[in-house]
Amino acid sequence: MSASLTLRVPNRIEAFAGVTEAVETLGREEDWAPDVAYAVVLALEELATNVVRHGGSEEGASEIEIKVVSTDTEARVEVRDGGKPFDPFRDAPEPDTEAVLEDRKIGGLGVHLVRVLMDEACYRREGGRNHVTMVKRRS
Amino acid sequence: MNVQAEHHDGVLVAKVEGRVDSSNSQDFERQLHEAFGDDAGAVVMDLGQLAYISSAGLRVVLLVAKTLGQRNVGISLCSLSGPVQSVFEISGFNRIIQIHENRTAALAAAGK
Repeated sequence: MSASLTLRVPNRIEAFAGVTEAVETLGREEDWAPDVAYAVVLALEELATNVVRHGGSEEGASEIEIKVVSTDTEARVEVRDGGKPFDPFRDAPEPDTEAVLEDRKIGGLGVHLVRVLMDEACYRREGGRNHVTMVKRRS
Repeated sequence: MNVQAEHHDGVLVAKVEGRVDSSNSQDFERQLHEAFGDDAGAVVMDLGQLAYISSAGLRVVLLVAKTLGQRNVGISLCSLSGPVQSVFEISGFNRIIQIHENRTAALAAAGK
């Protein structure tokens, strides 16, 4: 059994409420465990937020394509955008999660959370677009 | 998302309900600052009804903890569960902010 969802949203932060709702509905229909639904929604939010902030286009001026495929064994997430080349897993700064409160930098946590919460995360540049693929296993 | 403030013997408890993400994190920050005001001796954030938080919301928690730390106001968190608890741990926040199992434990520690 598998089900999928494809969405095209403008690169605006406000557009993601609809994405979250659609993905949560898919997760309910596919009977995802709470940690799977959480990880997928968070991964989409963090990645899409990165595209809006670092993609190089004015907010609302370009589109982000989101595809979520749910099978018995995994939830697979794909995020594509036509912004400037940006590999979040290599180009985003790694936060220092050991630093004391006074020295802790604000931000940089999003990609770190995605790396840990998802089982696979990879990036490729293809046809002038950024492609991020992430997998959360269901067992 | 909603922040509700309650006072318990000089300790301010801010109960956070709902979801905090990039679309409402600025509102979250504003509501926390309003809840804490200028006179709290210690602050507990009760996250038992927090269903979801992403890095945008964690950023606000860190900012607020730093601001309160500069004013020598103690801050702790309580009642985290499930994926929300994992997210705080993965971020290493359990090393910089006291996290208690429940509100009773947080209030006992804050009152000392």
